[in-house]
Amino acid sequence: METNKSKIDQLSPDLFQQRKAGEDEAEKIERPSLNFWQDAWIRLRKSKGAIVGIIITAIIMFFAIFGPSMNDHKFSDQNIRHAKLPPKIEALSGISWLPFDGKDADGFDVYESRQVEVNYWFGTDDLGRDLWTRTWSGTRISLYIGILAAIIDFIIGISYGGISAYYGGRVDDVMQRIIEILVGIPNLIVVILFILIFEPGIFSITMAMVITGWTGMARIVRGQVLQLKNQEFVLASRTLGASSNRLIFKHLLPNVMGPVIITTMFTVPAAIYTEAFLSFIGLGIAPPRASLGSLVNDGYRSIQSFPYMMFVPSVVISLIILSFNLMADGLRDALDPKMRK
Amino acid sequence: MVRYTIQRLVYMIITLLIIATATFFLMKLLPGSPLTNQERLSPEQQQIILDKYGLNDPLPVQYVKYMTGLAQGDLGLSFQYDNRPVTQIIGDRIGPSALLGFQAMVLGAILGILVGIIAAIKHNTWLDYGSTILAVLGISIPSFVFAALLQYYVGVKLEWLPVALWGEYKHTILPTLALTVGVVATIARFMRTEMLEILNSDYILLAKAKGISKVGTVVKHAVRNAMIPIVTILGPMTVAVMTGSLVVERIFAVPGLGEQFVLSINTNDYTVIMGITLFFSVLFIAVIFLVDILYGIIDPRIRLAGGKK
Repeated sequence: METNKSKIDQLSPDLFQQRKAGEDEAEKIERPSLNFWQDAWIRLRKSKGAIVGIIITAIIMFFAIFGPSMNDHKFSDQNIRHAKLPPKIEALSGISWLPFDGKDADGFDVYESRQVEVNYWFGTDDLGRDLWTRTWSGTRISLYIGILAAIIDFIIGISYGGISAYYGGRVDDVMQRIIEILVGIPNLIVVILFILIFEPGIFSITMAMVITGWTGMARIVRGQVLQLKNQEFVLASRTLGASSNRLIFKHLLPNVMGPVIITTMFTVPAAIYTEAFLSFIGLGIAPPRASLGSLVNDGYRSIQSFPYMMFVPSVVISLIILSFNLMADGLRDALDPKMRK
Repeated sequence: MVRYTIQRLVYMIITLLIIATATFFLMKLLPGSPLTNQERLSPEQQQIILDKYGLNDPLPVQYVKYMTGLAQGDLGLSFQYDNRPVTQIIGDRIGPSALLGFQAMVLGAILGILVGIIAAIKHNTWLDYGSTILAVLGISIPSFVFAALLQYYVGVKLEWLPVALWGEYKHTILPTLALTVGVVATIARFMRTEMLEILNSDYILLAKAKGISKVGTVVKHAVRNAMIPIVTILGPMTVAVMTGSLVVERIFAVPGLGEQFVLSINTNDYTVIMGITLFFSVLFIAVIFLVDILYGIIDPRIRLAGGKK
């Protein structure tokens, strides 16, 4: 004891620093404060499916934007002498299981025998149009339709559902009866009738999908707003004299964003599928323009002798729908507070 | 329950009326006339034909005629098939479609429920991951792509099953498979989520605490409860199968309703398009109605919520 004390006395005081009270970090149990979106992003990053989805979408979008200008062929350029050439990519032609060696179904090098100097990366169709350019410009159209449908769906769905739930009473009753009847009508029937009447094209396809597509979104928004509008924070804001507009836009809408975004994400693949479906039964984009659906349709006609014509657009469209589904699944898990671990 | 049923029934009838009216007026707006596909006819002949089909009457008269006809199950005459009644065309074509649809739904439900249960019980194992990945692929690959691939590989390359056409039972296998993929995937995903939620609930814990075997807990307590909400997706599933049948029947050359519908669209056969549209709508609405009622019977909370209004 005595020795200890002398040891301490030997230490000079300036070796020590006084620790101020309140700076004690060790007792603190806290993580950095995150808002809803930061939190959601952290959870989204953990979902492998969502990451795969984001990467695939990014790659497809890159090709959709730059793909058509990567070679000299335009999507409508016809060259009968170069018709029905199998895909050939110089760099990949050594890999036997990939169909990019420029050989047809019998292993016969068509490029050599027909003395074609240019390489068509995805081959050509029966009019000698370059399928690489057509596939990626078709992807553009498919993506455009998907995103446009989602945006319109988003706007109509939120306004309709929001108004219906916020005003309640008779307004809600009437608006809900209308939805109930609309939901009873099979979507595809409306879409097909609509396209029969108007010229088939990007605009009428999108409009046709929008006419029936928003009901799901409106129902979800209504359900959410009904839950929220009687909560204390809304009452508090109302007591302070907030206007309806302020209540809707500042308090209610931000809180329903989670489910709304998830629904929007599911709308995109559904719209892309519907367009492809319509194009496949001959009601879609009119030639010479092509969407992925019409390319699949064209390719299907010659699947026996030239399977590549159908495989390439089929793979691209499946990948697009797959990646959006993966992202939507991931988002649903990330934005759902019940999923918080 | 009676009140709830009547309420649903009224909605169903209103919806049907609206669909019939909308179909009628939309068809009147269609570009092209049923005569465009015929041989060249003199104006007089055209007049005679238009008179015969009642196309010269004022619109309200046509509408009333059409609706009274509908009420008696008369869908009019086809413009393309020598005046055959549309009802007869639908009657001839319904068989293959119904068979395919039924097989696809039953097979899809059984497989989907099984896969969902296995994935949930083996949560976070390779079985779970594998089936989840397959299910996402199943809902992502468009039915026509899947149908074409099946036809090419199983029919053309391997020659195991007939490539197309209709006749013997083996002709139904490929189209059924193509239609059922989406059903299996959707039901499997749904079932897995439901099962996971239920397996984490207190009454399962209680069942385990009582010492009931694992099989007993899953079969008696979890699966039964998880299957109740499956009823709700039967409606959307029917639509998916119906939609899929349009392309799948075309690909496999099945003489069903879907193929007829696509064919009629390409030939402007108004009355047949209208007839099949209405038929599909009635089918869809009837399924939704049945599902609502069924769900009300299985789960009393639903009809209570509906009746309170």
